[in-house]
Amino acid sequence: MISLRTDLPLGGDSASRFIPWLMAIMVFLGILSVSGVAVFDTILSGWSRAVTGTLTVQIPALSAINEDSANQARTDRAVAALESLPSVRSVKVLKNTEIEALLAPWLGDAAAIGDLPIPVLIDVSLSDESTAIIEGLRTAVTTVVPDAIIDDHRRWFEHLIDLTEGFRLLTIGIALIVTTALALTVVYATRASMAEFREVISVLHLIGARDIYVATQFAKRTLSAALKGSAGGLLAGVFTQIAIGLLASNVESGFLPDIDLGFGFWISLPLVSLAAAVLAMITAYITVLSTLRSMV
Amino acid sequence: MQISKSSESTDQTSALELDNVSLSYDGGPNVLTNLNLSLPSGSFHFLTGASGAGKTSLLKLLYLAQRPTQGSVRLFGTNVTAAARSALPAIRRKVGVVFQDFRLLDHLSAFDNVALPLRVANAPEPEIKSNVSELLSWVGLDEYMDAKPETLSGGQKQRVAIARAVVNRPRLILADEPTGNVDDTIAMRLMQLFMEMNKLGSNVIIATHNEHLVAKFGFNRLALENHRLSELPPLAANGAQA
Repeated sequence: MISLRTDLPLGGDSASRFIPWLMAIMVFLGILSVSGVAVFDTILSGWSRAVTGTLTVQIPALSAINEDSANQARTDRAVAALESLPSVRSVKVLKNTEIEALLAPWLGDAAAIGDLPIPVLIDVSLSDESTAIIEGLRTAVTTVVPDAIIDDHRRWFEHLIDLTEGFRLLTIGIALIVTTALALTVVYATRASMAEFREVISVLHLIGARDIYVATQFAKRTLSAALKGSAGGLLAGVFTQIAIGLLASNVESGFLPDIDLGFGFWISLPLVSLAAAVLAMITAYITVLSTLRSMV
Repeated sequence: MQISKSSESTDQTSALELDNVSLSYDGGPNVLTNLNLSLPSGSFHFLTGASGAGKTSLLKLLYLAQRPTQGSVRLFGTNVTAAARSALPAIRRKVGVVFQDFRLLDHLSAFDNVALPLRVANAPEPEIKSNVSELLSWVGLDEYMDAKPETLSGGQKQRVAIARAVVNRPRLILADEPTGNVDDTIAMRLMQLFMEMNKLGSNVIIATHNEHLVAKFGFNRLALENHRLSELPPLAANGAQA
């Protein structure tokens, strides 16, 4: 086990007071960043699962009135064409009530919708969703219903992926900024600490301590202070995570997929905390070495 | 106290050589001018001189806290004036220093202060415990091992500083007024410790104003006067030169 015994005074100086608070804040922000990436990934994969292997065929209504039989004939032709394809696993024509429920949030109640030329929507489940299969399906359907629209969700989903990737990059950027800020602040705090302990460093040198020994003393001291702070940041981060999870569970189901971040995510949080403390320790070590080496 | 002889043998080269050494601070006047000196291994000297003569500055050159502005300093055959910074710690470990103001680390106990030179040399903890305890007993501080320097008297601090200087059996011991704050009994005991270390091969240089001490122990003298150094014979007990 590594001994954290140090020849430098613990506590009382600016670095000892400052580093635990700094670490707590940085670890908290780091945990939020990691959580952000994990949540975006989970939402994306949930949506991806939901739309994978499905597409929607839309048969536009010919007219708002007196064309029911013609519309039904067009729907039957499309369904027959779809069912004849070996890659189609199932075909389901949505009932009017289901379509009205989908449109209600935008167009109001069913009474108002009833007068509009509502298209027929057909949910298609595929065993193979390669581009060639979808193009074959498109040809088969538009041959029998030329104005049918095939929506394989890809366009919508690609925009969603772009948006999620944007959020993910933003979160990684924030994590990098937090890391850089942490390192720079530890450099500043370590230099301030070295100035305060000039006499101790001088005595250590005069009795034969190498720069590495002095740097190790500061590194141990920084690690000790950083571990205290990062433990606080970890606790705050976990509680925040739990609170956000509870709030998210109140959001109406169906809008967001179930977000189960999994065991790996919860294990990663103490690792983030530990990594931040180790980063602070290494930064302090390198700062002391480079400062001492610049001395004559 | 039983102190085993260091495995490092004392060779026949000079332990310490000064060659035309001068020192000034920040381009000011010389505080030391053209010092020349060669001390054989195993020597014991008092360093004397009036206040401001440059005794502390000379000691600083010898414990490598200062580089000369002119000339060269050789310790144990190595020209330390030209040595790389990375080579200095190994040389400093061969030099034990008793500072006039002690320079103990206030946040460490007496034990940990004395243990420092062994710890920086990566000595094993059982060895540290044994050597430090024995040495603190020798200087009469076995009941103060856990005491912080701020709770110790001036004389007790001085003894801790001396124990720290000799604990790793250095080849050169430099002491700046080491008996200045202790009574005669303790002073004699500390001088005995220095002589014991000298018998085991350490060179000893003690800077002092105490003529009684210089006369009583009759070792050769290094005298600093007008920024220059001369080697003088021992002072007789009546104050005359022997």
